[in-house]
Amino acid sequence: MLLASAAALPLLLGTAGCRSSDVFTGPDPLAGRPPLGHDVLTLQAVIAAEHGMIDLYRAAISGDPGHQRAARARMLRALLAQHEQHLVRLKARLIVPPGTSASPSPSPGGSGSAFFSPGPVSVAQLRAAERASAADLVRRLVTAPPALAQLLASIAASDATHVTALGG
Amino acid sequence: MANTGVVAALQAALAAENAAIFGYGVAGAHLTGSSQAAAERDWTGHNQARDTLAAMISARGAVPAAAQASYQLPFRVHDASSATRLAAYLEDGVTRAYLGLVAVSDQRLRRFGAMAMQDAAQRAASWRGSTLAFPGLTPLAP
Repeated sequence: MLLASAAALPLLLGTAGCRSSDVFTGPDPLAGRPPLGHDVLTLQAVIAAEHGMIDLYRAAISGDPGHQRAARARMLRALLAQHEQHLVRLKARLIVPPGTSASPSPSPGGSGSAFFSPGPVSVAQLRAAERASAADLVRRLVTAPPALAQLLASIAASDATHVTALGG
Repeated sequence: MANTGVVAALQAALAAENAAIFGYGVAGAHLTGSSQAAAERDWTGHNQARDTLAAMISARGAVPAAAQASYQLPFRVHDASSATRLAAYLEDGVTRAYLGLVAVSDQRLRRFGAMAMQDAAQRAASWRGSTLAFPGLTPLAP
């Protein structure tokens, strides 16, 4: 029987004193998993930031419902819904090889820094977070693959309109 | 080849700006007061954007496409309400047109396109009275 399974092949090569790279022209199966691509890392960071934005809106909405005017609460819920749509569309693009554990990198000085503030969240904080998010997305899109760049540009434009809706 | 793609993206943005200039002329005629002032301000902004794009196209050795004599409106504009809807429609078209520049390889042009998208999306939201989740992009099917 001359057939060998893919799982057994590295063992066989090791026994024979060969490196797998002597045989394969593709990635070395013994060299560990390849690093995640730039686009995957970008998506992971943007998804993490979007989660942060959603948390911030939820905190703002639930923070002081008794004193919020109904119109403002309605507006915040509408903007939150759009961030949830951003998240769905971003996640739909993310394909991470199984078993990888690279953590998303929050953007230094970008929207990530505005998220985790204790206590009630004000409209001014939301506005600042939206502004920072739009800027961060533009910074990221210039090096992203074209289709991802377009999605990030659209989300940045949406965030920019949120700044205005929040009184900016 | 890369320059061809850049020029095509710039020409597409220019075409959208020219359409917006025409459309705002129609919309403004049906608006009054602060709405008319906003339409005039946006019309002026689109004229400036047109000149900027034309200069960028010329700088790349191409000829900026001329505006059409008239444009087919998407619906009948006969009052302030339909004029306001037209303004939002025009800005949506401009937002979509700049999306092409975001896909070119030149990073400065990408940034330029992204910032122009933000400006147009903000104007569209102002006219529409509400924001969109994905300005310039086709919404996903439910």
